[in-house]
Amino acid sequence: MPPKKATNRKPTIRVPRKRQAPADPYEIPDEDDNEPPKRRRHADPDPENEDEVTKDVVVSTPSASRLKKTVATPIKLNGLNGVDTPSRKNNADRSARRKSARALVDRVISGAISDDEAEEGDIAREIYESSEEEDDEDEEENQNGETEPTTPSKSTPGRKRKTTTTTRARKRSPTPPRDLPAHEQFFYQNKPGLSKTSNNNLSSLQLLTHDEYFSLSRDLASQNHHKTDITHLLSLHTASFPQWTFELSQGFSLCLYGYGSKRHLIHQFATHLTAHPPCQPSQSNKIVIVNGYTPSFTTREFLSCLSTAVNSPTCTSLPPLLSHLTSHPKTTLTILLNSITSPNLRKPSFQSMLSTLAAHPQVYLCCTSDAPDFGLLWDSALSTSFQFLYHDCTTFATFSPSEMEVVDSVHELLGRKTRRVGGKEGVAFVLRSLPENAKSLFRLLVGEVLCADDDGGGAGGGGGGEETSVEYRMVYNRAVEEFICSSEMAFRTLLKEFHDHQIIASHKDALGTELLSLPFRKEELEGILEELTT
Amino acid sequence: MAEINEMGLFQEDDHRVAYIFTAAPTTATTASPNTTATATTTTTTTKGARGRPTKRRKLLKKGTGAQQLDDDDDDQDTTREQQLQDGQDGEDGEGCTQWPRLFDGAESVAAAGLRREVYESAWPVLEKEIETVLREANRQTLDDVVGFLNSEVHEHEGKGRVPAGFIITGPNIAGQDLLFGQLGDALRETGEGVRFVRLRAGEVGNLKGGLKRIVREGMNTGEKEGEEGEEQVRVGGRNGRRYLDYDLEALRVFMQQKGKGGRVIVAFQDSEAFDTGLVGELVGLFHSWQDRIQFSVLFGIATSVELFQARLLKSTARQLYGAQFDVVQANAVLESVIMAAVAGTKAQLRIGPGLLRKLVRRQQEQVAGVGAFVSSLKYAYMNHFYANPLSVLLADGQKLDKEILQPEHLEAVRMLESFKSHVEQAVEEGKLDHARMLLENDSYLKVRISRQAAERQRYLGKLLQSLALVTATELSKRSFIGLYEAALEEGIFLDHSPGPFDLGDAIKRSTPEELIGLINRITAVIVDGNPSLHWKGMNSDQDAKTAVNKFEGLRADVERLIEKSKENKTSLQSKYSSQSKVLRTTVVAQKVQLSRDTATLTEEDNAFTEAIDCFFAFFKDLVGCEPLSSLFLHEVWQYDYHLPYEDVFVPRPGGTFARALTRPHDYLGCACCDKANGSAVGTLPATSILYHLYCEAGALINVADLWAAYYALVGEDSEIGMDERSALVHFYRGLAEMRAMGFVKQSKKKADHIAKLKWL
Repeated sequence: MPPKKATNRKPTIRVPRKRQAPADPYEIPDEDDNEPPKRRRHADPDPENEDEVTKDVVVSTPSASRLKKTVATPIKLNGLNGVDTPSRKNNADRSARRKSARALVDRVISGAISDDEAEEGDIAREIYESSEEEDDEDEEENQNGETEPTTPSKSTPGRKRKTTTTTRARKRSPTPPRDLPAHEQFFYQNKPGLSKTSNNNLSSLQLLTHDEYFSLSRDLASQNHHKTDITHLLSLHTASFPQWTFELSQGFSLCLYGYGSKRHLIHQFATHLTAHPPCQPSQSNKIVIVNGYTPSFTTREFLSCLSTAVNSPTCTSLPPLLSHLTSHPKTTLTILLNSITSPNLRKPSFQSMLSTLAAHPQVYLCCTSDAPDFGLLWDSALSTSFQFLYHDCTTFATFSPSEMEVVDSVHELLGRKTRRVGGKEGVAFVLRSLPENAKSLFRLLVGEVLCADDDGGGAGGGGGGEETSVEYRMVYNRAVEEFICSSEMAFRTLLKEFHDHQIIASHKDALGTELLSLPFRKEELEGILEELTT
Repeated sequence: MAEINEMGLFQEDDHRVAYIFTAAPTTATTASPNTTATATTTTTTTKGARGRPTKRRKLLKKGTGAQQLDDDDDDQDTTREQQLQDGQDGEDGEGCTQWPRLFDGAESVAAAGLRREVYESAWPVLEKEIETVLREANRQTLDDVVGFLNSEVHEHEGKGRVPAGFIITGPNIAGQDLLFGQLGDALRETGEGVRFVRLRAGEVGNLKGGLKRIVREGMNTGEKEGEEGEEQVRVGGRNGRRYLDYDLEALRVFMQQKGKGGRVIVAFQDSEAFDTGLVGELVGLFHSWQDRIQFSVLFGIATSVELFQARLLKSTARQLYGAQFDVVQANAVLESVIMAAVAGTKAQLRIGPGLLRKLVRRQQEQVAGVGAFVSSLKYAYMNHFYANPLSVLLADGQKLDKEILQPEHLEAVRMLESFKSHVEQAVEEGKLDHARMLLENDSYLKVRISRQAAERQRYLGKLLQSLALVTATELSKRSFIGLYEAALEEGIFLDHSPGPFDLGDAIKRSTPEELIGLINRITAVIVDGNPSLHWKGMNSDQDAKTAVNKFEGLRADVERLIEKSKENKTSLQSKYSSQSKVLRTTVVAQKVQLSRDTATLTEEDNAFTEAIDCFFAFFKDLVGCEPLSSLFLHEVWQYDYHLPYEDVFVPRPGGTFARALTRPHDYLGCACCDKANGSAVGTLPATSILYHLYCEAGALINVADLWAAYYALVGEDSEIGMDERSALVHFYRGLAEMRAMGFVKQSKKKADHIAKLKWL
């Protein structure tokens, strides 16, 4: 560990010196640091009282004795010339250091120390250390340094890169720090370069299809070992229904949050409210359950349902509804809203409309939130008019398919669009909006593809993985035969419609013949054909 | 699984955006065409899950005046209960379900009903009170604004420009609604054809939307015909001409039809939130229509007029002719609300010092608006009367006859802290009989309980008197709220120094003139009381008279002394005044001696000193009270619980979700996950396992690795032994839920990677 540390620290200290490199090389050691060498000198058994000049002179001497004169000489020349560039000077420094290191090593290896050599060794050591610029502990490290004479070069660019990598390597310890506060965790995990994940991917895993998901989840539902616990948890929540009713009756709105689907809870609450409405006995209460999670949610539909509930003429804006309520004080309205955090409902306009509704004395609002960030939906003005009371309603109940499109959601998360237009239903939906001859064409196409598939399946046997294609020209001819279209132009127009909805795909084979294919599995195609012919 | 079974029953409704809920299966054809498939009651499936239905059934049969309980769906019972309920509490105004009976259902119906009655008499009084306070607070501003808009000044000075009122509301946007509502009411009262249109940035996105709203509301406010805006646009156009619904011409024609002198006032409630361009465009339009429709605008401004103006175009600013109005700041409003509704005599329930401090701090730190404070207050009342069976003791003496007190009530009283300490104190003082009677004799205890109402009145009288007098001295550095909190918590003791009520020094240091002013203020308070506290002065005439006499005698003395000293041309001072003491340094034999000399006081000075001492003694007689917690049975009328308040008003959804996911055992109480103790085990729900893995992962998560880790926990090699496809189903579900909760999102950085979104 110590050597690593040393190498890390070195460059930071060295940098300033490199920058302000003086013209005169003789001043280098002097400027480096006055203190450590002196201290070391005191510690030395044989104190060297000479000045820097002598030191430099001596540097050349041992190197000369080690037959490395060529390296030592240029330093001086450069220095004297005064055209010393920092990097060059560094090189010089480095080689001096390397040499002194080697001198030390050799000395240790040989073991015998003559007086002369001892003096020499001291100087060598001094050079080594002065360039090292370390404190006491590094004197020991010096010994270690001897064992690694191949200390990497100190040239500026290479050195820097090296250090950055070492620091990073050190910070990326195998176990991340535990128990950091959340914000620290955020900064830690978002450090650039830290996000190192493996290159594994899910290609080996066959992803679930809708059908498989549903058939499996139906089987799995009965195996849930938490079933009784979840029912018990639900019963705890239902026990507070009277309290909630009381709170509603006092003009508060409710917001039920927590993990798990609360659709069922809301349904039970609605049942409870029909028996025990929050309004006064003389008033009649209507309960409207709103499913915020439905992707097709529109404010218009929401309002029209509300106005139907209170028997007012259907209206699509809020003020008439409110004035209707005000003029009919015997009617009250309870709105039970599922998933207020769904993307459709997050629009500020909807929230402010809802708050105006909730602020009306004849309207009672209870909503549920499936995500923990519901607090961000309302500013203080909105929450004042909502008057929310928040209740922790963690249910652990599974979300129903209506609330959550599990497979789609996961595939979207993974960035895979496996489902086009929504399969069979999608095709039916698209075709419903197209003219009759388009439908006939598609039926023809499906029939042809299925035929080709049967043939191909019989012949090839292993071609199940690829989509079966039919020849464009052939389909056109068949279409003309069946009076679906009269010209190629019309044929193309019909096909374009299919292309737009991505229910067909066309490509060219190696010979340049145009081919048409349908992006569905065989079973799906059969289903479509069945639907089209009936 | 219950979900799946019932899914079949109301599946169709679940996919619908909104539907009218009808519980009874027979009423399928009511109201909406949407409700073709109606929901079926779920009572059968959940009956078992409900809390103790059998036990309650038994109670109902006892004939204690059966009332419906929380969730009893039995038809016969309900009707019978309904009749009984009608018979019993005909005077009940609000709500219609009976409160549940406490003491585990042993509480009598009468007691539960009485609790509710007390609540319904206690809270509305306060609500009205608070409303008056809030209205009063805004009155000055309202008058100014209305005066400005109705004045003729801008007819001359601001010729051709649009009159504009800039109302500085401060950062508290929650109070704006009330203010602008009141403004609308006030302005409509002033003139026939005044139309008031409120615009909020959230509702008005663009020019067209804004104009639509102005036209519609401008034409709606006149008479309530219940017709829709579009309808009236058509009516507006004569000669069969129809206007687009954002055409101001429609408004003009409409106003012409309605007759003379109509004007439109458009209020931008949260001006800062509006798009600057939009404001400019609207103002420009108003300006150009000024010769046909008389427009005025109001801006609610949270920062300052200067900042607001800096945002507007110069050309826009030139079209406005305005004045600035200030609104009473939230803190001042809060203080008067607290005086009226928390400290005042009308408050039946005392909010304990801890809760009060918390509420006030939330106001100041989170700018929650007074509305939030009032809600919290209301919730405290609701909680107390709904959940504390002893709250019934707050009822009036006549209603609280001895029959209503059940053995359970007495038992509960004997469990109270204050009861225990009272008995302990009695034992220490040697009143053993009293203590024994309290513990053993029910009727003795009942008598004591019935006395506590008077005790409470006496205490409150003393408390408010002390507070009123202390505030009247104007010498305390603390705000009223601080004083009130301290008084409840520590009591009022003038001697305790340093303490919140150490007024002694301040009073003693006062000059003769100050003393006279002090005496005047205090006598005024003694006689007239403090209107904002609804404290009507000292109640017993005798006491008040003697006190006033004493003070007036003192004042006469002091005045005489002042006269005298004027004749002598000396200034009157007491020994407490700062000049009277002199620190002297004398050098004696090269040593410094410090000596304190009392300056010589004249005869009058001594007399004045005496007068001050006398005054302070009187004052001390009148001021002082015990801390609330030292009173016998204070739990009955004090509410000081943080938890329900915090849970309900300041939720911590992040923590709740994290807890549910890290430690599902806390909620489920299941045996299988008991051992996990916050770590990931295979038995946890899939989402929970994924959440554990999620917490360990970095900012970018490889789904393949996540799946591998998940499968290692639940897969075939683990204890759970799930096969791959089933595990994958769970994995999918968990991942989808994580996404729905906003924990992860898709990442494009690498294939099959997702990005972490929450660090909780």
